[in-house]
Order: sequence, then structure tokens, then C-alpha cells
Amino acid sequence: MEVRGELVLVCILGVLICSCNFFMVSEAVWLNLPASGTKCVSEEIHNNVVVLADYVVVSDNHSHIPTISVKVTSPYGNNLHLKENVTQGQFAFTTHEAGSYLACFWVDGHVQGSGDVSVNIDWKTGIAAKDWDLVARKEKIEGVELELRKLEGAVEAIHENLLYLKTREAELRFVSEVTNTRVALFSLMSLGVCIAVSALQVWHLKRYFQKKKLI
Amino acid sequence: MGIALKGYFVVLLLALLSSPEAVFGIRFVIDREECFSHDVKYEGDTVHVSFVIVKVDSSWHYSDDGVDLVVKGPSGDQIHDFRDKISEKIDFVAHQKGVHRFCFTNKSPYHETIDFDVHVGHFSYYDEHAKDEHFQPLMEQISKLEEALYNIQFEQHWLEAQTDRQAIINDAMSRRTIHKALFESAALVGASVLQVYLLRRLFERKLGMSRV
Repeated sequence: MEVRGELVLVCILGVLICSCNFFMVSEAVWLNLPASGTKCVSEEIHNNVVVLADYVVVSDNHSHIPTISVKVTSPYGNNLHLKENVTQGQFAFTTHEAGSYLACFWVDGHVQGSGDVSVNIDWKTGIAAKDWDLVARKEKIEGVELELRKLEGAVEAIHENLLYLKTREAELRFVSEVTNTRVALFSLMSLGVCIAVSALQVWHLKRYFQKKKLI
Repeated sequence: MGIALKGYFVVLLLALLSSPEAVFGIRFVIDREECFSHDVKYEGDTVHVSFVIVKVDSSWHYSDDGVDLVVKGPSGDQIHDFRDKISEKIDFVAHQKGVHRFCFTNKSPYHETIDFDVHVGHFSYYDEHAKDEHFQPLMEQISKLEEALYNIQFEQHWLEAQTDRQAIINDAMSRRTIHKALFESAALVGASVLQVYLLRRLFERKLGMSRV
């Protein structure tokens, strides 16, 4: 089952790479890597979401392209992808836990020239990572119907997101109300402690003065 | 047959030109300065940018300082400049195509986690409308709808980042009430013990002197 899933993912990736040249879609951001040290980017991803990412080292100097290393980790620390000494690559996975997924880049060896390396990262999650070519071929739809399908997918993603935001807001409200009760409770507790301690003080001093025959 | 074929090619062309530009969104930890670049492919595209400071890596010091964001065009001209903002959402029309730079500067001594999102909306049908007689109005409407939906997704991502920030602040506030109450009680008990001790010492000295 897992092997089949992997195979499907590889196929999707293959089609995506082929279609990339044809469709010129690149919603990618360029990251500046310093000559030493690691740069990490992360994203909060829900459970069961497909993630596809592409990274390319951008360099003006075509004779020597600096190489980088990539490491992608899941929220629980599992290594999802590790590549060293590459100038470009892709990774794809389906999330099994909700949380913050981290992708770290660092420059290998020493870099000639200015010392700043630019990496072009194209990171797609969820609905953006869906392979519409595959869907079009499988269900034999095209043109307007395909576009409407895409819109339907986008609307579903928006709806899901909205429901998630609703649950987050409910959690926030709960914590706010708990904090409200806590503030009241602990203020009373503080006041109670103050009164008790001062009563204790008075009692102790009275006993002390009586013992020393001052009162 | 010829018209249908032409229609099909128009649809294909539109599908190619008005490729859905998905929402991007990344989170990163900023130390002093961090720069990102993004390639805007067509002149006249609307660029939507948003950022939210999700958390500040300092446990007790709460500061309201934000970060600075400078947006520069491909030729180095400054398009936008924001100072000390915690969260911001803007859009502007790109007057030149090319690589735009977004540079964040952090002036506080603590590391901050920032959620940054950039989304470029491309209206290709404005160009096509003048040229092609057989332009399908349906595809035009669909493109507009697509654009609106991607805008909604962009806004939702910003809202999600804001909610995250509020959740972190709320949790911190909840913990702080408990810590405050405990420290206060401890301070009160400590102060009264000190009082009793000082009074006893004072009277013992007085007693000692009067007896002698």
C-alpha cells in the first residue's frame, strides 16, 4: 500500500516536472543563504496534506554553481528528506501529523565571490500541489470543466480552512475565559494570603510582647 | 470545425496565461535582517504581501516593537517602507516586471518568528479582450472568480497567522496570572516575616538597654 502510494507520488512528481516547463507556473521565493550557517523556513501544515517542493540554486556565474545541502524534518523530528552537495532538487511527502515542518538549507564548502547564495524555493501544499493533468486525463475532462473543477477544489480548501479557523477561535475563547476566572480566583487568593499573614503577625507579636511583659 | 478549434486554442491559451497563482506562505526566524526576492513575471500584476510576527523569543519582556519591511522593485527603487509593524497586509501594482526584494529588519534584541506571504495576481484577459473577437466571456468570468478565490486564500492565511499570534499571547497571559499570584503571595509572606523579625530585634535591643 505504501509502495503504491510512493509510486503514485513519483508519477505525480514526474508529470509535474514535465508540465513545469510547459506551464511556466512558478510561485517561488528566493532565499539568501549566507556563506556559513543554516537558513530554515517552516510552515504549519495540517494532517494528511500533500506537500511538493522544488529548490534550485540561482547563480549568475555559470561556470561554478555553489552547491547546497537540504534537510526537511517533521514536527516530531523525523528526517523526511536529506540531500547534500546538490544544486537543485525536489521533495514530496504526505503529512502524517499536524505541526510545523521545517526545511533547512546550508552552503557546502566555501563559496567564491560575494558569499551570498540565492536559492529559489517553490513550495506547494494541499490544493496547490494537486496534479490537475492527472485528474483531467483520468476523468477525461478539459477546458471549462477542468477550470471549474479547479475552482471547486479551491473552494473546498477555503471551506476547510474556515472550519479550522473556527476551531482555533473556539480554543482561544476557552483559554480567554479560563484566564478570566483565574485572574479573579488568584486575586482573591492573594488577598486572602495577605489578610491571613497579617493576622498571624498581629497574633505573634501580641504573644511576644505579653511574654516580655511589655503589655 | 474551424471556429471550435480556434475556441479550443483560445481556451488553452487562457489556461496557459491565467495559470493559477497559488498562495505561498512561509515562516522563518529573523535575527537581524532577512531578505527575500520574488519574481514578478508580468508588468501590471497586483502583488499582495502580508506578514505577521507570530512570536517573540523572550519569556518575560513583552515589547510591542515590530519589524521594518522595505519593498524594492527590480531596478532598486523603493516601493514601500514600513517601520515597526507587528502585522501588515498590502497590495500594490508592479510597474516593472522582474525580481522584487522584500527585506525585513529586526531592531529588538530578541529573535522573532515571522509568517510571510506573497501572492501575485495576473489578469491576462485584459490584454486578450482587445485582440480576440472569439473571446469567451465564460472564461473571463472564470478567471475573475479564480482570482477572487486566491485572494480569499491569501487573506485566510493572514488570518490564520494572526490567530496563531493571539493563541500564543493568550497562553502566555494565562501562565502569567498564575506566576503573578504565586510570586505575590510569596512576597507577602516574605515581607511579613521580615517585619516580625525586625520588630523583635528592635524590641529586644530596647529591652536589653532598659534592663541594663
